[in-house]
Amino acid sequence: MTLKTLLASSAFALAAVPALADSAPAALIVAQGGLGDGSWNDTAYAGFEAGIAAVGIEGRAIESNDVVAQGEEIMRRAADSGFGLVISLEYAHGEAMQSLAGDYPDTNWAIYNQVREGDNIASVLFGEHEGSYLAGVLAAQVTTTEGIEGINPEAILGVIAAVKSPGIDKFIVGFIQGAQSINPDIQVQVAYSETFGDPTKGEQMANAMFESGADIIYHIAGGTGIGVIAAAESSGHFAIGVDTNQDGMAPGHVLTSMVKRVDVATEQLVRDYAAGNFPGGQTLVFGLAENGVGLTDMEYTRDLFPASYLDAVEAARASIIAGDLHVWDVSSEGYPDFFQ
Amino acid sequence: MTSTLFKTWLERGTGFALPVVIALAVSAVVLLAIGESPLDTFSLILSESFGSARRIASTLSAATPLLFTAVATAICFRAGVFNVGVEGAFLIGGLAAVVAGFSLPASLGWALTPICLAIAAAFGAAWLWLPGWLLARLEVDEVVSTLMLNFIAAAITGYLVNGPFLSAQSGNNVTPPVHEAAELSRLMPPATLHSGFLIGLAILFVYAIWARRTPAGVEGAFVGLNRRFSRAVGISVRHTIILAMVLSGVVAGLGGASHGLGQLYRYTDGFSAGYGFTGMAVALLGRNHPVGMLLGAVLFGALASAGTTIQLFSDIPLDLVNIIQGIVMIFSVVELGRITIRRRARA
Repeated sequence: MTLKTLLASSAFALAAVPALADSAPAALIVAQGGLGDGSWNDTAYAGFEAGIAAVGIEGRAIESNDVVAQGEEIMRRAADSGFGLVISLEYAHGEAMQSLAGDYPDTNWAIYNQVREGDNIASVLFGEHEGSYLAGVLAAQVTTTEGIEGINPEAILGVIAAVKSPGIDKFIVGFIQGAQSINPDIQVQVAYSETFGDPTKGEQMANAMFESGADIIYHIAGGTGIGVIAAAESSGHFAIGVDTNQDGMAPGHVLTSMVKRVDVATEQLVRDYAAGNFPGGQTLVFGLAENGVGLTDMEYTRDLFPASYLDAVEAARASIIAGDLHVWDVSSEGYPDFFQ
Repeated sequence: MTSTLFKTWLERGTGFALPVVIALAVSAVVLLAIGESPLDTFSLILSESFGSARRIASTLSAATPLLFTAVATAICFRAGVFNVGVEGAFLIGGLAAVVAGFSLPASLGWALTPICLAIAAAFGAAWLWLPGWLLARLEVDEVVSTLMLNFIAAAITGYLVNGPFLSAQSGNNVTPPVHEAAELSRLMPPATLHSGFLIGLAILFVYAIWARRTPAGVEGAFVGLNRRFSRAVGISVRHTIILAMVLSGVVAGLGGASHGLGQLYRYTDGFSAGYGFTGMAVALLGRNHPVGMLLGAVLFGALASAGTTIQLFSDIPLDLVNIIQGIVMIFSVVELGRITIRRRARA
């Protein structure tokens, strides 16, 4: 390798940086699991693409087989090469982003599910507790409704979560609070699978919960939850999906899904950046009001129960948005009395 | 003599270059098929790998864990022990070092890093001693036992980082960060290249000396070539097998420690991006030779690092790099056939 070719190739690299009149390009660093995960990464990427297309700037998604360890190098390389917006979907990049963002004051940075300090860092949180509240409102009504196949008269719901942590318990507490708003005496069984990636365990736990009287189980367990949905289908009961629309995974047996609109959040970031008002230094919360969380359209299940149930859900949604109803947020308020 | 030496080096050079050339040729075809220029792409990869001091640092940073896992693999392969459990020992050593790095008192100061490294080495050694002992004493197939131990290592570390060692401040599965005193310093900040790379080079050097200049190392090679003959000349095959496994565990454990203390500063989900397996490919590509393994680690490090950053400047997907890596691995495994034949021959 001669010096000349090296220089020529670096010149190529520089020339490859897209020159743009109004806005420097944006980069989206894809988290572990990569594109094609049908969940977190893909949803965010869809929003990123939509934002890029809408504002007409150049945008690139960056995948890595070793995204945890390479995070800092990727972020620095992007900033060094003139990218104006760097969004990382990888949770493990938060710390590095906070420490390096100061070196690149002209670059805008964004990270999810955590709050990082820095004038040019936007932290994005989701109101999972609010969306889960709505799921609780719906499930509490359905669980005592006579005449639905797979629903028993007992007022018992279930939750299968992956790990006990404030980030996960936030979902559970919102769900319980929503369920209790319909029926104060409702029983919500909670179990932790201790893993995000074990569908077999999820299936076994769900079957045990169904046998003990629960008929609707909300899963907050990633891949483990796939087993919960499978158990609902094979036993004829119901599951509630999470993060993305999982209603179609077992049509008629996923009551609804609590979707987390990372696409909405990502698109918003790109639009704000291109418009010159990037929310640096701010913590953005995407809750019900921002359309950041919500329930699905229940394509396969909405005809199973009276339409008035959805009115109750809509009423709860409206009061939360109006600020009349406060849903407990474990991640910022700690644990409530009814759930320790 | 000179000509034999020349022939050996030529053979090694071909063994190294051939998989790379084939991989480049295939990926050139793929690039043409998707309408990209192979020449532009390869020169972009080259400049992103070695185009500046910072890019070289990034490449070497990505190569660092592979130096350890390649040597750990080579120690066993040259003795005819087909240890595929380096990945597991890397995880165990990494977690052990990180846990020591945040739970021991920070007041230990400079002594903290060597203590953490020693603990990681001990855990790695113990981890691979087991399949070594099982093979040497009970003839339990090491491929099966070490492969299974990888799953167990992933499960144990996954459980611990999810439970007892979970950081209270995090919504994700990570441990608390290690004390600053335990961190391996960066060599050219702000690049992430850290002194673990120098430890890796030192280990490679020690391996070279050990393999050629010490009785134990030479005996290892004999056992790898012919177990019956080794027994006949009075070499303890059992002892050699266990020693190879334990040393492999030491090096893999140190690799995990280097990664934990120098790169991530904590243990997290996704701690190892399959370094143990990539290291195996590096050892095969480099024919267990220190120089070959150094080049192999740098090659795979360059692909990992540049393969990611070229996406900032082009529409080349990560899949291309995966294709290149995959083909290099396949053809470097030509060596694997020779080991398998040996395994059959000894049975």
